[in-house]
Amino acid sequence: MCGHCFIIPKDVLERLSHNESLEAPTRAAMERTAMLDTEIRKLRIQNQRLTSLGMQLLPGLEKPMAATPPKVLVYDCQHGTTLPGVPVPTPGTSGDTTARTAFTETTELAKFYSKVFGRNSIDDQSMSLVSSIHYGVDYNNAFWNGVQMTYGDGDGRIFLDFTRGNDVIAHEITHGVTQHTIQLAYTNQAGGLNESLSDVFGSMFRQWQAGQTVAQADWLIGADIMGPVAKAGGYTCLRDMANPAAKHALAPQITHFGQYQNGMDPHHSSGVPNLAFTTAAKALGGKSWERMGQIWYRAMTGYRPSPNLRMAAFARRTRKAAASLYPKDAKVMAALDLGWKKVGL
Amino acid sequence: MTDEKDKTPEAVVDIERLGGLAGFGGPGAKIRSHGTIALSDLSAADRARLEALVTEESPAAPMPDEFLYRITRQTEAGSVTIDVPESRVPQALRACVRDELM
Repeated sequence: MCGHCFIIPKDVLERLSHNESLEAPTRAAMERTAMLDTEIRKLRIQNQRLTSLGMQLLPGLEKPMAATPPKVLVYDCQHGTTLPGVPVPTPGTSGDTTARTAFTETTELAKFYSKVFGRNSIDDQSMSLVSSIHYGVDYNNAFWNGVQMTYGDGDGRIFLDFTRGNDVIAHEITHGVTQHTIQLAYTNQAGGLNESLSDVFGSMFRQWQAGQTVAQADWLIGADIMGPVAKAGGYTCLRDMANPAAKHALAPQITHFGQYQNGMDPHHSSGVPNLAFTTAAKALGGKSWERMGQIWYRAMTGYRPSPNLRMAAFARRTRKAAASLYPKDAKVMAALDLGWKKVGL
Repeated sequence: MTDEKDKTPEAVVDIERLGGLAGFGGPGAKIRSHGTIALSDLSAADRARLEALVTEESPAAPMPDEFLYRITRQTEAGSVTIDVPESRVPQALRACVRDELM
């Protein structure tokens, strides 16, 4: 795999490979890249087709849960940007804290999805969980690239090592779950829902590991990766799910659907469903993953892929899921209504 | 001797890094990432890559939490702004941005 094989369209690469104003080695490199690019694009398209085809065919069949837990693989980018990097042979006992943390927390997250939601890995078929660490130099980000997780070390000032956040790890892996279930796009309302699902399951994982009730939880995203300069500035998190517009969040969000506009960054619009979930879960009480989390999981995984799903349609799905999962518990529906009404949905 | 005012303004590339897990550069965001580089400081290959990105008709969307780069190329002919996912941005352009709190 190569993290940089899609920089230039193939036709442009081919044009450049014949451009005599460029030096011969550059033209030759362009030609080689064009050939490689073609093959990698084919693989990526085939991967997407397989994911969609599997989604279309398997719902009608009994889909047995794979018996074995997923393999957890960790690679070291050694501060480069080529993915996946060099394999870490025994990450669970590695002397590298980042490798050990990535392995341990990813393994724990696989247990969380299995025990709490009956899901075996990202694809529910024991797909290997691949993480690349030490990506780039002082890199202030973590991301899901369609097949694997990637974590930067942070610059040590604004951000620390991104694997320090168990909610960050759960956030990225949940992007994979979304890709293999509801298949939300990453723009407009679907993009906001996509980001929110990663925050919701990221926060639930953090609470599950700590054994916290909804009242004990802080509902912060990214609290454990904030660096000394960010903390000195009064910033305690990336986002606050219970108070999306909070001044202590590095990236405050909208709090009501009336504020939503097409074209918003998904990390901004996700404040709406984040606040709906948090309000509903707090109103219901107990532990977030026990009932409200089950409703969100059903709404995410219980339907055919819906790339352009709108927030109101997702809210309707959660109401249907609540009626189906907890038909005799009026408190659940009341809490859910409170959550969605708070954000105007 | 050429008057300073008669010099042709240097063509530059202005880069803003947006999005990512932390939502860089969003409305109200307290973190931003910005940089500028002279077009003449880029290698011929990187200038060609930039030209290809600027003329691309349908740019790809970023993957989840992938940074988006807002690249503005300013030349005598005018300025052009494009949004490009990080995986398609040449390393020389990625390297010139600096993250800062506002």
